[in-house]
Amino acid sequence: MTQSPVRLSGVHKSFGAHAAVSDFDLEIPKGCIYGLLGPNGSGKTTTIRMIMDILMPDRGAVELFGREPDYAGRSRVGYLPEERGVYEKMKVSEQLVFLGRLRGVAKDAARKRTKDWLERLDLGEWAQKRVRELSKGMQQKVQFIGTVLHEPELLILDEPFSGLDPINQDLLESIVREQRAQGTTILFSTHLMEQAERMCERVCLVSRSRKVLDGDLKELKRRERSGTVAVEFDGTVPHQIEAAAARQIEETLAAWPGVARVAEQGDAWHLSLEAGVGTAPLLAAAAEAGAPLRRIELLEPSLRELFVRHAGSDNDGGHGAESGGGPR
Amino acid sequence: MRLVWVILVREYLEKVKTKGFWIATFALPAGMLLLMAISVGLSIASASSDRAFVLLDRTEVLGEQVAGRLTAAGYDMELLESDPGAAEMDRRVSEEEIEAYLVLGDRTLSAGAFAYRGLDRPSGARAALFEAVVADAALAHRLAEVGDPEGLRALVDGGRLEYAMVVDEADAAESGQAPETRQIARAASIAHGLAGAIFFYMTMAIYGAFVLRSVLEEKRTRIVEIVVASVRPWQLMLGKILGVGSMGLTQLSIWALCGLLIGAGGMSLVASMQPNLDLSMISAAFPTGGAMLLLVVYFVLGYFLYSSLFAAVGAMCTREEEAAHAQAPLIVLLMVPFIAQISTVGGGGFVWMDWVALFPFFSPIMMFPRAVDGSVSGWMVAASLALMALAVWAMAWLGGRIYRVGILAQGKRPTIRELYRWVRAG
Repeated sequence: MTQSPVRLSGVHKSFGAHAAVSDFDLEIPKGCIYGLLGPNGSGKTTTIRMIMDILMPDRGAVELFGREPDYAGRSRVGYLPEERGVYEKMKVSEQLVFLGRLRGVAKDAARKRTKDWLERLDLGEWAQKRVRELSKGMQQKVQFIGTVLHEPELLILDEPFSGLDPINQDLLESIVREQRAQGTTILFSTHLMEQAERMCERVCLVSRSRKVLDGDLKELKRRERSGTVAVEFDGTVPHQIEAAAARQIEETLAAWPGVARVAEQGDAWHLSLEAGVGTAPLLAAAAEAGAPLRRIELLEPSLRELFVRHAGSDNDGGHGAESGGGPR
Repeated sequence: MRLVWVILVREYLEKVKTKGFWIATFALPAGMLLLMAISVGLSIASASSDRAFVLLDRTEVLGEQVAGRLTAAGYDMELLESDPGAAEMDRRVSEEEIEAYLVLGDRTLSAGAFAYRGLDRPSGARAALFEAVVADAALAHRLAEVGDPEGLRALVDGGRLEYAMVVDEADAAESGQAPETRQIARAASIAHGLAGAIFFYMTMAIYGAFVLRSVLEEKRTRIVEIVVASVRPWQLMLGKILGVGSMGLTQLSIWALCGLLIGAGGMSLVASMQPNLDLSMISAAFPTGGAMLLLVVYFVLGYFLYSSLFAAVGAMCTREEEAAHAQAPLIVLLMVPFIAQISTVGGGGFVWMDWVALFPFFSPIMMFPRAVDGSVSGWMVAASLALMALAVWAMAWLGGRIYRVGILAQGKRPTIRELYRWVRAG
């Protein structure tokens, strides 16, 4: 197996009496998009700062490309910190060329790449403007360019999408995917569960300085299936039919084999199944009743549901308000 | 070194490309030129006049001398042989044939009083010159009547301290300068030393503050976290110090060039106005090449010494207000030698101060003046330079260690004990 770009084992870091990261293990495989998820203050940024050797762990080992994080290793990383640092007085293109050259890109190549990237991110006409004249979102895009300009093997992005409008979020998302397709490994932190769900192949959920879950996202969801089935019928959308008719359907469904509970959920009914029951008896029951079945699906939990399930209600401080849309 | 260069260039361009830099750089020589122009213009305006003056001498003894000296001072003086009468003289003034006329009369010899009649009141400078010339001529005449005029004149002028430096005759002969020139050169070297002390005080504080602010800005915006991912802190610090230093040298070169031009222009102006003046006396007032070289050496060493510490202070702080407090010890380190130096200008017998001047942080401000006025021996100067070089090395090490930890630290300013830990870490 190829070497992991990032590996943390038993890492612990506290600030005074407050433990920011506790006994943390993490291994990021080469060439995937890895999401570090958790509410604000759960230790995501501290973890990233330890990977970048900005902070030293109190205990445990951090490895970057198989070694302690050193200059050679860090030069292979594109790092976008959460605090958006820019040289406000410098011109956009000068700043990017400067950052590129610091990372070993030759002057002409740095100029060329800067020009191409600025065009790509719709900032071409801002190249000669001073950075402080740009809006926050534009500055963020400039910073992103500075992160990828030297074509790093590993991108570490701390909350890369926060503060961007949806159009720019999509643009950046597509660029991150494209980088992944070129073989770059990407680690990004976010508290936006929906976005992580769209983008990540692997995730690590952290809560209150500890890791609560990590692994392949599809695998996790399969493992965490809750035993809920969604069913839809032609012509009987729950909220469009009469209440009495709806109640009648609900009662019918509740009588199906293995169904413990029935609830309306948008256009569908959600059936909570008893343990060990599959979808086959339901299909049989539907056929027998001659119900006009349109959809029947074993639901997987959303990332948000997973998170709530594992991090518990003690995390309502951060992610609940910020996670965007509800479960689907 | 490539990275240091990239950082240096960025730092240099960011400083030099601002309007403020050019305004500050040219305001100084422009101000000097303006002052010179004003003083020259004033003296020209007050001294000369388009129209002639007429001198009427009723004392019959002072006329020639007064007319001669005023002519030498640039006035067109006409000494009348006979008195045409007040009415005729007034007519010539009112018809603007002449500017004014002077009458030396009864009270001129006794009290130095004389009449000046013109359409306008004479300017202060002109009145003072006329008064001085007339009074001096009258006094000379009176002293001659008493006998021993030179002796009396010396007494009237006040006593005279006849200072003579004990010099090695061989040295004096070797320098080939006249005693007066040597005296001017000595006075000038003291002035140069003082100017140097002021210069070091200002530049260390100002350029040091530039370095501090630049460090602080990178830390405040957190861009330093991105930069140090691929640059070692010492490279960043060195590049920054060299960048600001290069800006300083650019500014100083412009000032030196302007000074040279103004000096040369001034010399030729003086030479054209006063053809008989001995220019070697004036050129003795200019700093020597050796003094200029010492200035540069002390500047470079002093700048490195102080800027490493200013960089460390910047790295310790997170806000400008904090930095203002934290840099106070450095400002004191500059002020102590400065005050010591200006209060003992020209030596003054505090020989132990020569030893204080060996302290590397004090050397630019205290040893440079002693070196240019020759009040300390060469080995002392050499020792101070060696000590400074040593101190630069030590402070670069210390500053670098504090900087390395400080730029990534957030939160409150470290205590002395924490600083000690920073320095020892890694």
